Amino acid sequence: MRVGIPKGLLYCKYHPFFETFFHGLGAEIINSEDTNKSILNTGVKACVDEACLPVKIYHGHIASIKDQCDLLVIPRIMQVYRNEYICPKFCGLPEMVIHSIPDMPPVTLAPLYMHNKKSLYKWCISSGSAITRNRSKIKHAFELALKAQSNYKTGILDQKDITVMLAGHPYIVNDAFLNMNIVNKLKAKGIGIITEEFAPSSITETQIKKLLKKPFWTFKRNLYGASAAFYEQKKVHGIIYLSSFACGIDSIVVDLIRFHIGEFPMLVIKLDEHTGEAGVDTRLEAFTDMLERRVVNENNHPSHGQCLYSSQNSI
Amino acid sequence: MKITIPHMGNVYIAVKILFDGLGIDYVIPPLNNKEALSLGSKYSPEEICLPFKLMIGNYIAGIKSGADTILLVGSCGPCRFGEYSELQLKILEYLEYNVDFIVIDAVKSIGMRELFNRIQIVGSESKKRFPGKINSVIRAYNAMCILDEIESQAHFKAGYEKNKGECKRLLNSCKSEVLSCNQPDKALKILKEYQKRIKNIAVDYSKNPIKVAIIGEIYTVIEPFTNLFIEDVLMDMSVSTKRNLTPSWWLKDMLLKIIKLNSMKLLKASNEFLPLYIGGHARECVGEAVLASREGFDGAIQIFPMGCMPEIVSKAILPTISREKKLPMLSLIVDEMTGEAGYMTRIEAFIDLLERRREHVFAGN
Repeated sequence: MRVGIPKGLLYCKYHPFFETFFHGLGAEIINSEDTNKSILNTGVKACVDEACLPVKIYHGHIASIKDQCDLLVIPRIMQVYRNEYICPKFCGLPEMVIHSIPDMPPVTLAPLYMHNKKSLYKWCISSGSAITRNRSKIKHAFELALKAQSNYKTGILDQKDITVMLAGHPYIVNDAFLNMNIVNKLKAKGIGIITEEFAPSSITETQIKKLLKKPFWTFKRNLYGASAAFYEQKKVHGIIYLSSFACGIDSIVVDLIRFHIGEFPMLVIKLDEHTGEAGVDTRLEAFTDMLERRVVNENNHPSHGQCLYSSQNSI
Repeated sequence: MKITIPHMGNVYIAVKILFDGLGIDYVIPPLNNKEALSLGSKYSPEEICLPFKLMIGNYIAGIKSGADTILLVGSCGPCRFGEYSELQLKILEYLEYNVDFIVIDAVKSIGMRELFNRIQIVGSESKKRFPGKINSVIRAYNAMCILDEIESQAHFKAGYEKNKGECKRLLNSCKSEVLSCNQPDKALKILKEYQKRIKNIAVDYSKNPIKVAIIGEIYTVIEPFTNLFIEDVLMDMSVSTKRNLTPSWWLKDMLLKIIKLNSMKLLKASNEFLPLYIGGHARECVGEAVLASREGFDGAIQIFPMGCMPEIVSKAILPTISREKKLPMLSLIVDEMTGEAGYMTRIEAFIDLLERRREHVFAGN
């Protein structure tokens, strides 16, 4: 049995779990390649036009391996925390893919609730039963997979004189092709990077509690909470927010962060399949130059005593 | 306290009847128009969906005519609608408008007690006694149901009417008459009278008009300004339309959801293609498309605002339904930049296609 696991969307966060689980069942695992131009092109061709870039790329990953495997793992991740969703597109991901790409092998359709062990195990039974009927084998593989996942940590922590928070959905931050290698570009400029995973949870929680309504998106909790926490802690000098065009969650989260941080430097980079690298480079350079002046040269105070970034003070 | 509400189709008429009955001070902002849209898109995040922008426009118009409280319904689904209140409050604060928000949210996210508290804030403004309040609420609900029925009858009978344009005239005069009446009892009476009149409209059932189902995102299908009055346009073309999503349907659906008995027929129809709730009304959209093919409709038009997450999923599924059930479909995506000419051309072309399709040699197979 060959099991295909596409390297798109939340693969970057949960791949140890899926890979260990299906490996433990004795399946041969077929990964797609890292995202590249041809995957992007096939994805854009196959997917609905209105979807966001990561979903389109996911379609490309699937199209590239679908003929080589007997079962495709398309995790329909409903909830990672209790009563918190990921995104409507994740809830309907298998349907989107099946109806967009012809000649699909069987896929995993069961919903995936990851907030407790029992519901996660349910998914494993329904997905694993396509490979083996041996329940104890599934149980064993499940335990191994949980262990592998708990040992796996993501995120970038690299603090320097000037540090920015690299915010964005994990599948954008961790996909070097999608974000045009922004991590290395920042490193080359000598800018430190910190990601949402390293936000102190106590401050994040207090910031979340200040919201009018308990967030029902995990991404909102993580991104808004972490940005607000870093801002309150004065741990970073700026925020670079990587977002994909037409992302419903970001359209709200980016503005909530903006309202919270006021005049604090923040750069929002919108990515879609037409994004040109030169434009991104220019903006990145301008932003880092501005940070440098703000932090190193002017020590946070412009020469005439007024904050240059304030909209009220600008002429 | 002076309450204002955002617009959504004919909801304002029912709200007017409700507040007139309760004796609460209110402002109904002017119907959605260009100004509301341009104000809304000026102050809203760029990529947020169209309903959000129009609502901001409505609030500003309402506040300018003296409102200090905004009444809004909420949800806790994975769709963006649930997050509206938070961001809208921040935007209005930023614009230095001093308003309160009362969000009638889903029980699941705020709890029963908090929900009653919030309703209490509105209810305590009314000087009526408890039975009188309940009476007003029931009356408003009845008005909404009757209005929805009149509207759906008018839209469906437009294809069959003997005197062309009668349905549309009747519908328009009904709305304007109800709106000019400030006594809730009398308004209900007018509605009931129109209900009878639309039932007895002269129709010719030997006609075989093109029948189209209007499906998609709830706000854009209900609010005529966002879909550039598509139902009126189709009425003029003598096309019968049917739309399942109405404000009264939404209310029933919300209440029955608590005991999980909501729109069973729709959900059963959608099971084949989308067996799970994914937020918004994507599942209903898929179910309606399946039902439309079963009920012998000629085609379906899906309307949703640019970037609507659940409808993007249903748009991915609809081509399969179209292929398997042989039901032509047209997806129309609206936002603040929708141009009328391009939009109308596509609707006309679609209706032409449906007409020709009937004459095709394979028609009926």
